[in-house]
Amino acid sequence: MAGLPRRIIKETQRLQADPVPGISAIPDEANARHFKVEVAGPVKSPYEGGTFHLELFLPEEYPMSAPKVRFMTRIYHPNIDKLGRICLDILKDKWSPALQIRTVLLSIQALLSAPNPDDPLDTNVAEAWKKDEESAIEEARQFTRQHAMGNKPQQ
Amino acid sequence: MGNCFQSQNSDDISLLRGSDAPDNGHGQEPLPQPVGPPPPYQEAEVVPVYHPSPNVSRPASQLTEEEQIKIAQRLGLIHHLPMGVYDGTSKKAKECVICMCEFTFGDTLRFLPCMHAYHKDCIDDWLMRSFTCPSCMEPVDAALLSTYETS
Repeated sequence: MAGLPRRIIKETQRLQADPVPGISAIPDEANARHFKVEVAGPVKSPYEGGTFHLELFLPEEYPMSAPKVRFMTRIYHPNIDKLGRICLDILKDKWSPALQIRTVLLSIQALLSAPNPDDPLDTNVAEAWKKDEESAIEEARQFTRQHAMGNKPQQ
Repeated sequence: MGNCFQSQNSDDISLLRGSDAPDNGHGQEPLPQPVGPPPPYQEAEVVPVYHPSPNVSRPASQLTEEEQIKIAQRLGLIHHLPMGVYDGTSKKAKECVICMCEFTFGDTLRFLPCMHAYHKDCIDDWLMRSFTCPSCMEPVDAALLSTYETS
């Protein structure tokens, strides 16, 4: 694709040559700034066994501004809302151009292992999580079974 | 005087342009006068866009006074950061983490107080948005001030 910065080409090549365990990121054929991402639910988390589809977009300003990432698969998580938006500091004010697609996806994987109800995006989920963590985790498991197993990538 | 018509509305804009603004004609040669009103796209090209914070982009004419001061200060501080030309001998940094291109002989580099080095153009673009080192997140101005204090 014409006009694609060297950095994006390199990152794409490195992601394919040396993929992150449990994560795949494939650029869209029509738009090399748009990636279809699959993240496997981390072991020992309520998302284990699920496959979560995300979309990742590199804005024109990238790497001066952060990639835009969104869950396409429904997920019960205090830092991810119904629309799939993610509350993660490095995607907002803590972004740095030294970070990459790889590090962003690793951080999202880590967020699934360690939900943070004290910095909520979905306040209902966060409240439930703080009130009764065990039931919230069971609800997250139920969501995983319902939405993230045997699911195909969405458009 | 020939420069006046480029920045009609205030000195703030010429201040914000800093030394990057092209020096056009030294005011001696008469600048070509457009016939009739210039096409609108030319107007848009002249206005530089600034980023008072990483996710905010605004043309110079829409910055608040506070943001204008912040940007002018940053331009000044950036010019105090040491630069150098890559001579191929550095064993530490081989690649600019911003553009992910290897440093090649003759590249102009900028060194931050934390000793991280980047292509000058790459890091200057970032510093105008956030005055931190991309690699260690160290605030550059704090480090700059402490360098002044100890020397």
